[in-house]
Amino acid sequence: MLWSVFNKMRSTIWMLSIFGLVVNPALSEETIAPGPFTDTECVNCHTERNPKLIRQWRQGPHAADPGSGCGSCHGDRHKDSNEKARKDQSCASCHEGPAGHSYSLSKHGVINHLNEDRQDWNQPLQRGKYRAPTCSYCHLHNGDHGNTMAPSHGPEVRQWICSGCHSPRYVREQFANGKRQLEIADLKVKEGEELIASAVDMQSGALTELKQRLIRHRRNVLFGVGHQSPDHQWWHGQPALDGDLIRIREAVSEFHRKAPLERPFSRSPGDN
Amino acid sequence: MRYRLKLIALPIVALLAVSAGFVYVHWSKGGTGAGLYSRHWSPDPVQGYWDPENFYQSTEIVEGIFEAELCVQCHEGITPGIVADWRASRHALNIDPVSCNDCHGSDHQQLRLPTPEVCGKCHGKQHGEFQDEARYGFPSHVLAMERALDAPHFADKPKAEVQSCVQCHSVATKCDSCHTRHRFDAAEARRPEACVTCHSGPPHPDDETYFASAHGQLYRAEGSDWDWSKPLIKGNYKAPTCAYCHMDGGRHQVAHKSLWKFGLREINPHTSKNQVLRKRWIKLCSDCHEESKAAQWLTDLDQERKQAWKKLYKAEAVLKDLRSEELLRPAADERPPYPMGSLWQRERIGFFEGQASAFYNVSAIERDYFEMWYFENLGAYKSAAHGSMAGIKSGHDKMAASLDRIETKAKELRNLFEAEQKGEIAPAPSELWMKGAYTDYNRDHN
Repeated sequence: MLWSVFNKMRSTIWMLSIFGLVVNPALSEETIAPGPFTDTECVNCHTERNPKLIRQWRQGPHAADPGSGCGSCHGDRHKDSNEKARKDQSCASCHEGPAGHSYSLSKHGVINHLNEDRQDWNQPLQRGKYRAPTCSYCHLHNGDHGNTMAPSHGPEVRQWICSGCHSPRYVREQFANGKRQLEIADLKVKEGEELIASAVDMQSGALTELKQRLIRHRRNVLFGVGHQSPDHQWWHGQPALDGDLIRIREAVSEFHRKAPLERPFSRSPGDN
Repeated sequence: MRYRLKLIALPIVALLAVSAGFVYVHWSKGGTGAGLYSRHWSPDPVQGYWDPENFYQSTEIVEGIFEAELCVQCHEGITPGIVADWRASRHALNIDPVSCNDCHGSDHQQLRLPTPEVCGKCHGKQHGEFQDEARYGFPSHVLAMERALDAPHFADKPKAEVQSCVQCHSVATKCDSCHTRHRFDAAEARRPEACVTCHSGPPHPDDETYFASAHGQLYRAEGSDWDWSKPLIKGNYKAPTCAYCHMDGGRHQVAHKSLWKFGLREINPHTSKNQVLRKRWIKLCSDCHEESKAAQWLTDLDQERKQAWKKLYKAEAVLKDLRSEELLRPAADERPPYPMGSLWQRERIGFFEGQASAFYNVSAIERDYFEMWYFENLGAYKSAAHGSMAGIKSGHDKMAASLDRIETKAKELRNLFEAEQKGEIAPAPSELWMKGAYTDYNRDHN
């Protein structure tokens, strides 16, 4: 019975299959050569298919860097290219240091790491599809290749992404607190830079190094806040900045104390 | 007669003093903040999420009483992530599911963030153990928030800044530090990564030191294939993890075997109380190793601590000498005061004087000692306790270098002072530490 129905419909089924393959190549991976593809080949093809995506990519920092083309994240084969790019590892190989470390220590990073095998990486980067946000979930949300966490995307986009799991008020408060933490770190940098600037006569290598440390530790606070790593907000951030200020003050105060000692014969004009 | 009067007066005075003390502590906890200095600070708006018992206030935007499926229907659209998470949890899969309102309440204008007490209604054993951990004192999970709020620098620094502290110290006030919401998976909490968000960084590099050890290496290589649904008992795991050792048998008391107290202060490892703790460790290690070997490792750790304290005390003595010779700059009265003031202004040196809170606006040599004690020493301790040989060496090398630096700097300070005396130069008290963009802001924002 079933067989006879199939026989009768055979031509229709073939027609539909061929129609599907020709008109909608996405229905079948077989129509696309397996690769490998060069970055130029990817861009050429996808400029026609996903012009918006290519535009977003071109405007971002990755396009400007010759070392980070499509293949850096997606690999050079078509199969599994999206799954591959969605995983944190594809970012971690370049974004080492505090950027990657702060995320991998965060609860989001930990949950993802522990659930990697259970997660369906075929899912689009949308709300409700992931147990915890990955790098790409936040920064390439919904496949947007223009860094959805960048300030240029506006606060509403960030609010939308985070509130897929957290209450709108929670997200608002966390962002506001993060901003205040950064403002405080900025005040420390300002205090340090003003101290250094006030010591006009004593510009030294040590002070330049301290200035760089201020910038580095302020950056740790930023990563700590953005990736929700208390360790980076605090131990690599705020108290580290406090330490920098102490060392800058020490240099300045010792300079002032030593100055009169190094001029033993100088007298004020009234002495003579 | 007079003697008898004294005999009666003394206990009365003592009683009055003790009661006055209690009244004062009670009064001091009645401010806008929480803890001993609560009258000197007000919370940052975000603090309610870290310490719900003290500071969380429900939103009043949505009106109504909601339960179970009604909550889910709405939140599936608003916060789909947590609904998906809850659906995959044991709470949802239970024959009698634990629904949103069971933990959060059903009146949307009076929602609560679940505290350990709320979880404890069902998880009584774990909550009971957790509460009981307080008898081991600090460091412990259950007292973590209390200790954070009672630190002078917490009261002093801008409240937005010290939210970083309470994120980790909220392990005392919420269960989801380890059992992340809304899956609350015990298997996830058993894995070492569940601890590293807080147990990382310079004062407690538990992550680095454990992962560098033979135990950690084994976990890294094979851990993802182990069955994490198994309880934390002998035979279930090929190598020990954080939880296997510190919460053996699933006991919710990380301080249950806390012998060396985080390496923060010197302890006598052989008191009768500590003998009990030693036996607990040996019993635990002998799940896999010979008892005699385990005992030897404890002795090794004692030795490492002895060496560390030898260096630390030397540095502490240098600092205390400088203090008594009045050579520390800024001097105590050249430093911005704490908001709660102090009857006796002096530089705080070492654990018992609370130097852990004095890491900013102090002299550079004090900061050097703080880093030696808090970062290098604690790093060495964690390495020794977790079995990272390279970490022990690097920690002790760094401590030796710091001690050297501190001694050299002390000499320089003395020379500078002598030269000033010789030249009859008396620098005026410095304002340097009292002003600055952050320093000014700090003073106005408690």
